[in-house]
Amino acid sequence: MQSRFRKGTLWAAAALSGSMFLAGCGTTTSAPASGPAKTKSPAAEISIGTLYASTGSFATSSMPEYQGLQFWINQVNAAGGTYVKAAGKKEKIRLVSYNDQSSAQTATSLYNQLITVNHVNMLVADFGSVLTSVAVPIAQEHKQLLFDQSGTGTTFFTPNNPYIVLTSLPTSALWPTSLANYLISQHYKNVAIVYCENDFDQSQDQTLTRLLAKAGITPTYNNAVPTSTSSYTVILHNMAATHPQAVIELGYPNNDISFMQALQASGSTFPTTFTIFPGQLPSLFEKNFGMKGLNNMFTYPAPPLFTVQGVNYGMSIAQFEQAFKKQTGSSPNFLNVAGYNTGLILQKTLATATSLSQKSMRQAVTGFSGSITTLDGKFQINNQGAQIGETLPVGQFTVSNGKLKVNFMS
Amino acid sequence: MRKNKLSNAIILVVLAVLFILTPLLYPNQSVPFQMMAFMTLAQGINLLYGFTGYLPFGYVGFFGSGAYGVSILVLLLHWSVIPAVIGGGLFAVVVALLLSPLLRLSGAYFSIGSLAASEIVYYVVSNPNMQNITQGPYGINLAGIYDPNTSYYAMLVILLIFTAVVMYVKNSTFGMSLLAIKEDPVSAAMAGINVVRRRVAIWLVSAFAAGLVGAVYGWYVSVFYPSSVFDLTISIFAIVFTLFGGGGTVLGPIVGTIVLYGLYNTIGVSSPQYFQLIYGLLIVVLVMFLPQGLTSLLKRRGINVP
Repeated sequence: MQSRFRKGTLWAAAALSGSMFLAGCGTTTSAPASGPAKTKSPAAEISIGTLYASTGSFATSSMPEYQGLQFWINQVNAAGGTYVKAAGKKEKIRLVSYNDQSSAQTATSLYNQLITVNHVNMLVADFGSVLTSVAVPIAQEHKQLLFDQSGTGTTFFTPNNPYIVLTSLPTSALWPTSLANYLISQHYKNVAIVYCENDFDQSQDQTLTRLLAKAGITPTYNNAVPTSTSSYTVILHNMAATHPQAVIELGYPNNDISFMQALQASGSTFPTTFTIFPGQLPSLFEKNFGMKGLNNMFTYPAPPLFTVQGVNYGMSIAQFEQAFKKQTGSSPNFLNVAGYNTGLILQKTLATATSLSQKSMRQAVTGFSGSITTLDGKFQINNQGAQIGETLPVGQFTVSNGKLKVNFMS
Repeated sequence: MRKNKLSNAIILVVLAVLFILTPLLYPNQSVPFQMMAFMTLAQGINLLYGFTGYLPFGYVGFFGSGAYGVSILVLLLHWSVIPAVIGGGLFAVVVALLLSPLLRLSGAYFSIGSLAASEIVYYVVSNPNMQNITQGPYGINLAGIYDPNTSYYAMLVILLIFTAVVMYVKNSTFGMSLLAIKEDPVSAAMAGINVVRRRVAIWLVSAFAAGLVGAVYGWYVSVFYPSSVFDLTISIFAIVFTLFGGGGTVLGPIVGTIVLYGLYNTIGVSSPQYFQLIYGLLIVVLVMFLPQGLTSLLKRRGINVP
């Protein structure tokens, strides 16, 4: 009996050790999307580490952004590489990427993996604030510059933070400036706003209400709903009861779709109805609601729905659309543009930084900030690393000759 | 008794040595850190489910309360880190105390009730009107106290403490009384066991474990949103790890976490579709052939499992 007991304990300890070894090894051998991870980057290439989410709540946004970045890498490598000032020559790009499955916990391990095991030269965050948030302290701890593609969270950007650069979107607090200007220009007095309880939407609500208040407009309805809200019917009726001239819904794509479904079902119409994402993901919304459903809807149109003028770095939107379609077989959306734009910022950084250290790269970014305009808009950051150069206009969808068009209102 | 003490000591030493050595051998510290976090959560579930039969789907509510507890104590009350971490654990205990009437429910009703309760806590924390206290939906930035190395060893200490707690409960009259309550609460009450008090006691201890893990997790990641620390998958993982290894034992949650979290890191990240398939198959096979978990394989062969 005693020997059986000892045998059991020893068996368990051995199993524990063996499994632990297996668990540790697991991450080492996790294959990145573009080939097995190597512990050190060969000198003749630049390694870029990033995460993507092929499943989970961020997959629909993360994957297009990732495809945009991949597109940029393919373009660069097809041209024989990109100029790296620190090396004094052109070098190819190697992408090291892992799937975080939209989990912040998993992303924590994987960002660490990219830095401590893969030793990537440049670190690019996954889509959005939640999956970027965990990378912010890790990048700082390891003295690595984080290229934040679309995480506009207000907590990331602190005075003189040299470890983060927001590349492809303005911080969310800046988004509603054009919307507020439009509402004020229409002399609306009754504005109803519903927003989701998250950083992205609440910061927009705060900016919007502050700008409206300056013009003497107090929203007749301004309430938050959980981000998981999928039925807006009652909320819409409550908003309609205040007889608004403008109904503003601030949410993520799933919220916008739910809101528009409720709007369609209720048959309610308002002089102005605004949602965020139809302008960024028009094909998704057209698939759900058809052109008729989008007709007269106000939104933030983003490239490729509009063309940025004065592009002086990278492809124009027309060139990008053509090349992207040729390479991937599908038409690009805004998130593809955002991913490609991140690539352009990386490219410019490599072309101007004297070394691949965080300090040197951040100095380089600060140096070209405000001087380049890409297909995504003017790239300009403040001393916190937040993007302030890009603006989002307000536009209204209309159907003309069987085609969906956007009229720009600001 | 002596045999038990020896095996328990071996387990604690093995755990300590493994998690002290791993960061020296493998540079990505986050993997063993999260493994320790899930292992402790699994032990917390084990305390409740393994000894009372209550399966808390909403266990993540205590984890999130701990993370927000440490944030409030550091950002608002300017406590130093270690007292704030303990305070974070106590936040979860207070939440558990408020939710203790849930123990009047049983079976699936309790599980669903605890899930709903954790959602309530989540929505209270993320409510924009709570912005002055919890920052509402804006998330938390604890960059001022960020210290991944110290928080790593803090998590190890918590793991060892709660593994030792499970060892104590398993071998104590208190644990036996819990098992008696699990089998037949009426008979246990007639035998003089204070059923309500003991259930509440283990419920609070289990919540304290999750609260401490959440507090140290918040300290370790330092930037997080309500949706990150009240993520239901945290509950699901901890429950599955416990059930896979075997509840009511010391080793079950440890083995379950190492095997399944290891599997998750091996194939879950690179090929999630295969992982979900394998994970699903494993759970189906487990429920059909090993409902008492992996450790029951040893028990069937007459081997004592600590």
